[in-house]
Amino acid sequence: MRRPLAQQAVGWLAIAPGLLLILALTVYPVGYALWLSLLDKHSFFPEQRFVGLDNFVYLWTDAEFWQSLWYGVVYSVSTIVLQILLGVAAALVLHQPFRGRGLARAMVLFPYMIPTIVAVILWKWLLNDTYGVLNYLLLAWGVVRDPISWLGADHIMLSLIAVSVWQFFPFVLLAILARLQTIPEELYDAAKVDGASAVGRFVYVTLPHIRGILFVVILLRSIWMFTKFDTVWLMGEGAGAGRFIRTLPVYAYMRTLTYYQAGLGSAVAVVMFGILMASTVVYFTLFRKEADIG
Amino acid sequence: MSLWGVRRGLARGLLYAGAALLVLEAGAPFLWMTSTSLKPPGEVFAEPPTVVPNAPTLDNFRRLFTGTNFLVYFRNSVVVSGLAVLLTLAVGSAGAYSLTRYRYAGSGQIGVLILCTYMFAPIMIVIPFFILVKRAGIENTHLALVLAFTSFCLPFTLWLLRAFFETIPLELEEAALVDGANRPRAVVYVVLPLALPGLVATGIFTFILAWNDYVFTRILISSDELKTLPVGVQDLFHSALTDWGLIMAAGVLITIPALAFFVAVQRHLVAGWGSGGLKG
Repeated sequence: MRRPLAQQAVGWLAIAPGLLLILALTVYPVGYALWLSLLDKHSFFPEQRFVGLDNFVYLWTDAEFWQSLWYGVVYSVSTIVLQILLGVAAALVLHQPFRGRGLARAMVLFPYMIPTIVAVILWKWLLNDTYGVLNYLLLAWGVVRDPISWLGADHIMLSLIAVSVWQFFPFVLLAILARLQTIPEELYDAAKVDGASAVGRFVYVTLPHIRGILFVVILLRSIWMFTKFDTVWLMGEGAGAGRFIRTLPVYAYMRTLTYYQAGLGSAVAVVMFGILMASTVVYFTLFRKEADIG
Repeated sequence: MSLWGVRRGLARGLLYAGAALLVLEAGAPFLWMTSTSLKPPGEVFAEPPTVVPNAPTLDNFRRLFTGTNFLVYFRNSVVVSGLAVLLTLAVGSAGAYSLTRYRYAGSGQIGVLILCTYMFAPIMIVIPFFILVKRAGIENTHLALVLAFTSFCLPFTLWLLRAFFETIPLELEEAALVDGANRPRAVVYVVLPLALPGLVATGIFTFILAWNDYVFTRILISSDELKTLPVGVQDLFHSALTDWGLIMAAGVLITIPALAFFVAVQRHLVAGWGSGGLKG
């Protein structure tokens, strides 16, 4: 088919505003962050000095940076694994026909749709060491003898992981559920005729079909959990134990807005981005086959 | 009962137990939030705690409306999220139409670029954004917020709308064009009505995304009367530390618009995912 130049021009014209906005509001700031990471710059004042890679050299020797990296890895790996396991299991349950399924499906998605600030203040209330309903129940049932300080140094990472998994596993559930609905029922019937058990049907029928979407979901969730800021920041804020969940995004924020070192804060963000890119490349190389299934 | 029957019954039982557990983990916290919001100060700390308040009262909500800036935050949230959604929908639907209906130099690369920016996390953009906004002299304005929300809503909207537009068959437009309609008429009378459910669903997802934003508002807004709900309520939480009834009332009210919209598009959700997804 011939594509007249005028036609192409219309196509360009229609995409242009969106493209310009994306370039101005997303691509340009990311590029500017790369430049900032090479500067010694106060967050509020215009003075700036080019320092080359000094910010990165500083980070290499900065114990706080390594600590944040470690907390970030602990946080993202544990929340991703738990989200995937729970999400797939819950999708399998909600895929089965039963009375009230529509309502159950809608309710299970609630935690994912609410603002993070609500999730956090709600859980801070449930986990309150003196008046929280969780400690009340644990004491009443005799599970523990003394109330647990859920937001104290020893348990705050655990609480943060629990709240994050609660908030985000419905995303995995939704994705898997959508895919499950496209698997032809005949495949399960055939497997039953062949004598496959429920586990067998999962391994030989369900799993091959959800591999492709699992590949995408794990990728997206990893990116979003590794860079998760609001849940982590809000859980740690106010609690004295906030520094025990200071992950990389929180550290980047604090460098920029608590110490006003915009250059150093950007350097942290750049390192974070570098780690993500490298991990994504490794992930694609390791699981190329799954990516092809789509 | 036969062995087969026992096994079937057991499987059924497990299924219902699993479903009940899911409904409980998602619903119970909200039930507790609502219950606390309806309790007078004394009952909030009662031991043993009451699930259904003994003396239910709307006093917490009244204090929220009269004693705090809650309604101002609410209005700001509606205005800023609404403007961001209108802007991204207008720009996004034109862009998605172009990406699905025209082939031109670079159209493939633009698709890849959108996918890449869709995966950028706000924390990577917010630091440079903050400095650029200061340099432009628009810090602490709603304009800066609308632009900031657009930065993460637009790639998302384009991504979703492109998937919706791809499901609208080209033949219908071509038939209209053959029948003598020009391109704008074909778009208005053929494509738009078919795309409407997708546009509504995308608008709602985008609205929830903007409504829930915390980090951009925290960094870009300093005046109390310009704050949106998430930031306003966080500050309320700090200034009214042990006033849990008041805080939970705020939590209930912020959740309502998102939930109402969510219920409205609930049946589109699973289909929507198949074609594009969510973010966060």
